[in-house]
Amino acid sequence: MSIILDKVNYEYSKGTAYEKKALRNINLEIRDGEFIGLIGHTGSGKSTLIQHLNGLLRATSGAIYYNGQDIYDEDYKMKDLRSKVGLVFQYPEHQLFETTVLRDVKFGPSNQGLPALEVDLRAYEALKQVGIGEDMLDLSPFELSGGQKRRVAIAGVLAMKPEVLILDEPTAGLDPKGRDEILDQIAKLHQENKITVILVSHSMEDVAKYVSRLIVMNRGEAVFDGSPKKVFRHYKELERIGLAAPQVTYVMNELAERGVMVSTDATTVEEAGAEILQWAKKCGII
Amino acid sequence: MIRDITIGQYYPVDSVIHRLDPRVKLMGTLIYIISLFLFKSFTGYLVALVFLGAVIKLSRVPLGYILRGLKAVIVLLFFTIGFNIFLTPGQVIWQAWVFKITREGLRSGAFMGIRLIFLIVGSSLMTFTTTPNHLTDGLERLLGPFKRLHMPVHEVSMMMSIALRFIPILLEETDKIMKAQSARGADFESGGLIKKAKSLVPLLVPLFVSAFRRANDLAMAMEARCYRGGEGRTKMKPLKYGRRDYIAYGMIALYLGALFLITRYLWK
Ligand SMILES: Nc1ncnc2c1ncn2[C@@H]1O[C@H](COP(=O)(O)OP(=O)(O)O)[C@@H](O)[C@H]1O
Ligand SMILES: [Mg+2]
Repeated sequence: MSIILDKVNYEYSKGTAYEKKALRNINLEIRDGEFIGLIGHTGSGKSTLIQHLNGLLRATSGAIYYNGQDIYDEDYKMKDLRSKVGLVFQYPEHQLFETTVLRDVKFGPSNQGLPALEVDLRAYEALKQVGIGEDMLDLSPFELSGGQKRRVAIAGVLAMKPEVLILDEPTAGLDPKGRDEILDQIAKLHQENKITVILVSHSMEDVAKYVSRLIVMNRGEAVFDGSPKKVFRHYKELERIGLAAPQVTYVMNELAERGVMVSTDATTVEEAGAEILQWAKKCGII
Repeated sequence: MIRDITIGQYYPVDSVIHRLDPRVKLMGTLIYIISLFLFKSFTGYLVALVFLGAVIKLSRVPLGYILRGLKAVIVLLFFTIGFNIFLTPGQVIWQAWVFKITREGLRSGAFMGIRLIFLIVGSSLMTFTTTPNHLTDGLERLLGPFKRLHMPVHEVSMMMSIALRFIPILLEETDKIMKAQSARGADFESGGLIKKAKSLVPLLVPLFVSAFRRANDLAMAMEARCYRGGEGRTKMKPLKYGRRDYIAYGMIALYLGALFLITRYLWK
């Protein structure tokens, strides 16, 4: 099962002076269980693209199929799509509104019309998954720290048990520790719940470690699509569109240029380290 | 959707009207609005329509965009026209149960409707063609004489421009929060009145929180730049009338003259 985008175009405020082409001819297939990184410079259309995946924005032209069904069909139930494709917006903590953390998380599942017990169960489970302890359940969401608020907001979407989880720059504005915690938790969710995850970011470093596929956006177009290794081979082109490959890519390319026989495909520090050690052993340096 | 609310927003194109001194536009709008209440004949409205049409044409703001702004006040429009039609006493031409329509009612309903439309279009044209900054400058200068009476002129115009500036920001925020809550299955459309009102809670609470946050940030940013009111403050670009502005004042005078002549002497 999959999400397929067929020649999707989108224009904001069509027919006014603010007209803005935000997506150009996007063709994608997102398969079950993938962990995808969606990368692009600010304004490249990442947020616009993901809002199409759960029907919040309607493509100006083109078609989108969810599990083979055209989501723009007259009798397609958008509400079902919204609970299957969970979307966590950028700065999701700005959408908190309830009097307690628990009640806020319950908002999503109770909109799905589930029995009260199931709603409670899901809320507890989701909060546990994002690492919010039971001592915080009855606090007002506005009393929490920034990172905690964000996790509560993510739990609010998780509690709906989506098949596909999309997170729009979930680490924006967090400190390095908060960032790593959130990303680790997302990776764990992907593994344990076997859901498809799409992680939007403008930082390669963030996602390279986690994702198995990278989609790079530039000015509304999907310019690269493939495994991180494959995409980072184009690090020169990436620079031209305002992005950068992870630091280790530069180190490895520089080494290779200077005659050190290492593969330039390493995307994380650990991989690069192993690669260099291997080379050193081969040459008898160590 | 929510973005259809265009009242009070700036429309960025370059035109003669955009380049006019904001004082001309403020005065012009005020005079135009007053002029709408000076006469009671259809020929008068024809003159007002021609004038408004000419300004719209010159401003290069698309007509569709302007009319879209009327959508937001359509309820108000209906009520005004409705009350006038049904509640004005006079010669009855149609009657059913307690409702009756009079000749005078029809007439004043039509007048009120036209007036209201002209009034809204005319004043939104001013904001379409003037940036909030310009508008404040103009207002501050026009109200300048009232400073002598210890009226907080600078503060009032500053507040007005901040309010105007925040309309699009808050609309954008509303749009965002609405989408975020829809992604959590919120439904803002269906249901009865009570259910609809209840469904606004997840929208309004975050919106208020965000408005306060923004107000706080803005106050902080203003203080950090040593803003302390209008006392002794100078302008980087002081307003100065040019030839274009005098011509525009001439046009406004011409409009008033034509209105007076036509409604008084030609076709009454
Ligand atoms: N609500 C909107 N109305 C008009 N233009 C928009 C709106 N949202 C985004 N845009 C424009 O569309 C383009 C893509 O924006 P977005 O998808 O938010 O990019 P990203 O998430 O990659 O930063 C940008 O140029 C942005 O200015
Ligand atoms: Mg974005």
